[in-house]
Amino acid sequence: MNVIKVNNITKHYLLGSQKVEALRGVTFGIRQGEFIAIMGPSGSGKSTLMNIIGCLDSPTNGTYHLNNKEVSTLEGDELAGIRNREIGFVFQNFHLLARNSALDNVMLPLKYAGFNRDDQLKKARETLSKVGLESRMNHQPSELSGGQQQRVAIARALVNNPSILFADEPTGNLDSQTGHDVMQLFHNLHQQGQTIILITHENEIAAEAQRVIYIKDGLIESDIKKDKV
Amino acid sequence: MILDESITTALDSIKANLLRSLLTTIAIVIGTASVIAMVGIGSSAQRAIDDSITNVSARTLSVYPSRGRGSQKINSTPLTISDADALIEDNEINWRVSPEIRSSKSLKYGNESITISVIGGRKTYFDVQGYEIETGNFFTERDDLARKRVAVLGSNVGTELKTSSKMLIGKEVDMGGVTFKIIGALKPEGATGWSNPDDIIYVPLLTASDRLFGRDRVDSIRVEVPNTYTPEEAMISIERVLRREHDIGPGEENNFRINDWSQFTDLRKQATAIFSGLLIGIAGISLMVGGIGVMNIMLVSVTERTREIGLRKALGATQNAILLQFIIEAVTLCIIGGIIGVIFGSSLYFLVTVFQDWVFTIPFSAIIGSVIFSGCVGLFFGIWPAKKAAALDPAVALRFE
Ligand SMILES: Nc1ncnc2c1ncn2[C@@H]1O[C@H](COP(=O)(O)OP(=O)(O)OP(=O)(O)O)[C@@H](O)[C@H]1O
Ligand SMILES: [Mg+2]
Repeated sequence: MNVIKVNNITKHYLLGSQKVEALRGVTFGIRQGEFIAIMGPSGSGKSTLMNIIGCLDSPTNGTYHLNNKEVSTLEGDELAGIRNREIGFVFQNFHLLARNSALDNVMLPLKYAGFNRDDQLKKARETLSKVGLESRMNHQPSELSGGQQQRVAIARALVNNPSILFADEPTGNLDSQTGHDVMQLFHNLHQQGQTIILITHENEIAAEAQRVIYIKDGLIESDIKKDKV
Repeated sequence: MILDESITTALDSIKANLLRSLLTTIAIVIGTASVIAMVGIGSSAQRAIDDSITNVSARTLSVYPSRGRGSQKINSTPLTISDADALIEDNEINWRVSPEIRSSKSLKYGNESITISVIGGRKTYFDVQGYEIETGNFFTERDDLARKRVAVLGSNVGTELKTSSKMLIGKEVDMGGVTFKIIGALKPEGATGWSNPDDIIYVPLLTASDRLFGRDRVDSIRVEVPNTYTPEEAMISIERVLRREHDIGPGEENNFRINDWSQFTDLRKQATAIFSGLLIGIAGISLMVGGIGVMNIMLVSVTERTREIGLRKALGATQNAILLQFIIEAVTLCIIGGIIGVIFGSSLYFLVTVFQDWVFTIPFSAIIGSVIFSGCVGLFFGIWPAKKAAALDPAVALRFE
């Protein structure tokens, strides 16, 4: 069963009078439990694609079904609800709230989901333990290493049990050892059945995924499925 | 849940930029401080005025002869003892009438000689003025009719004659060549305005007029009006009587003046009103300026935190959640300013009450009201920046550098 089905998606930006075609017709499906890497040169449209399938943005043309529900026509708060329930984001530069503890950062999606405080605390603690940070829950981001910060961000992405975990260059700001640890975490999550879409420049990282989609100039150049690693 | 998150976020961000936040609220502080000081000072001043009005059990009007202008001066009609008698005989209003005749004379006792103000009046003079006797007696109506040469001393006169008022009771003094017997001395009254009743010697009206000054022209007639009549009603009656006595035809001007002492309190009320108006103006402008300052700082805050807003939206924050967060921040900022303002305003008001010897009373409603009002200023001026934040496109906001 496909979690994601995108059909001939395009995305145009207008920069003054100039039209930028960031995506020029992209079609693919992603099944439940897949671990996918999206690769491509800078400016090829990877982040644009992630924004659309992450429901941060709507395509200019084409359709997008998430869990068999058409979402390409939705707007504003409807998309906010879907992002909250179905999607977890991990960013290259972590995007943690600097003045909040790890625990508070992880609780944030649950606040917007409307859980009561006890449930928020319980789920956030569980998830932080899952990423190996049970002893760092009350630390502020500035008191954590880069790898730990990224794990807080991963816990935040996972805390509301999303259908898909998106990661845009999650290891881009980390040294290779820490990056490796974070990748190990992704593998574990994948093992537990989590659908993961990972955007990366690095072949090594991409090599760890089951399937690699290459994008160039807003089009899919290749879509290669590998046998289990 | 979103509400308490918004409040903690608001407090966090205010704390993070504490100095900037406090500077932003200065105008709000000034605004609310003015409101509180105004309400406090206004109510204390009002109370002081009310007290001074009720202290005087009845209202007193004073009638004076017109000061004739230029050549008219010679023709100006004086007020006389018979005018006062006419007022006494008129029984429309049961007022008390106290004519006063006043001049300076030399006063001799033993080897001492001083120049002194002499007031001729009836027994009612002391009642209307509220003077009390310390030793001896007031002169009576019979003393007046008999033109007796008796006198009552103000409390200082004795000392001015190098003795004490008590010692002078029953003694004879020489006033302008006429011998008077001292029959009483007043309690100290204290100076009121330009004259000090303690430095004056009091004699019966007709004695003064016939034996001392040789004139029946009086300097003023005081009319004490009972509370059941307004000063305006009393003035109309006084006018009616005196116009008849002075043969003033219809359409002609009065040749006397009536002063309403309550005019002074009216004046004070007016001054208080002007003062309040001024403070309301300051308060209004300050709150307005404060509101704009808060709006400005909120716009800066929204720009600074664009990526945070993008992130919150990526995590599922609805437009309303973002809107609420920034409105609460603006409102909290203004309420903090309001509370500081209340503290400053009450301190200012407290100082004024100490100096003016007033009662310190700030109505609780004024405190709550001005804090709520500053909150409303925050709401009003915070909405636009908050809407800008809520409308941000999450994808664009996340890319923002
Ligand atoms: N909001 C926007 N307005 C205008 N142009 C945009 C916008 N977002 C992206 N683009 C353009 O669309 C193209 C694709 O950008 P995108 O961010 O998807 O690239 P990318 O593959 O993620 O690159 P990188 O590897 O450097 O992150 C680029 O040419 C970019 O300049
Ligand atoms: Mg990118």
